[in-house]
Amino acid sequence: MNNKSKLYYLVPCGIFYLAVPLIYMIVGDFPSRTVLKEILSLATVGAFFLFLGQFYLSRINTVTLKGQNYSKVVKLHKIIGYVCIPIIFLHPFFIVLPRYFEASLDPVDAFWLILTTFDSKGIILGLIAMALMILIGITAILRKRIHMKYKTWRTMHAFLSLAFIFVATWHAVDLGRHMDTFFSEYTIFMSSIGVVFLMRTYFFNNENKEKTHEE
Amino acid sequence: MSISKIRGCIGCGECVQACPTDVIRLNKSDVKAYIAYPDDCQMCHLCRMSCPVDAITISPEKSIPVIISWG
Ligand code: SF4
Ligand code: SF4
Repeated sequence: MNNKSKLYYLVPCGIFYLAVPLIYMIVGDFPSRTVLKEILSLATVGAFFLFLGQFYLSRINTVTLKGQNYSKVVKLHKIIGYVCIPIIFLHPFFIVLPRYFEASLDPVDAFWLILTTFDSKGIILGLIAMALMILIGITAILRKRIHMKYKTWRTMHAFLSLAFIFVATWHAVDLGRHMDTFFSEYTIFMSSIGVVFLMRTYFFNNENKEKTHEE
Repeated sequence: MSISKIRGCIGCGECVQACPTDVIRLNKSDVKAYIAYPDDCQMCHLCRMSCPVDAITISPEKSIPVIISWG
């Protein structure tokens, strides 16, 4: 297999988990805002969809990654994870950041108001998703220091990611400013693909289960 | 009408408090703001300025015509 064909698996990932959502945000019928706000929104949504794509770029994807060099895929998976976690972690600040450049509510007050609006289901979901994401990040960085078998760690990582994606998708659909009917359905569909990969690996496919649990 | 869309609302109710003409209301079931009386909007932008998540869009093209006194 030459190098070109080895990278083919990245094409659907790039199209469906990055190009489609970003292009839809740019060309869709959404209120136009300042360039800074649009860039921050694109970064947030791009990072979120790349998170959804993490299931595709992992060992549980035994469908499209069959025959690929898994160590390279896992390397890419790690890079995406470590780049996207800070972006998603900072996205509440991205919402209030442009307030420094316009006449409106003080950014610090706005931020505090966001964090303390507990009547909002979307905010509660966002806080839970953020806690899960931090837990995923910390357990990934400290994997070698946690006294846990690799197999156990990987199962924990997969199920924490599943919980994170479920809660984060709900949060995004509830509060996302670009979430019209198409985009909501698309987001839910793309999240479901990850869930299917995971269910297939851990619950329905003994052969894959064994393979996935191999070191 | 000038207030045109509310997207990404977290239901804090700040805009409802800020609006001098009671254009915006909070939907009790989904706890999100909605435009109840768009025709009453005075385009003062107070709602937009008080929204912590910048959820409110005010159409720039729908501005109040300039009124000049006659005579
Ligand atoms: S622009 Fe002013 S009048 Fe119009 S909805 Fe907002 S606060 Fe009310
Ligand atoms: S101020 Fe913004 S977030 Fe708060 S209720 Fe109004 S539109 Fe929703």
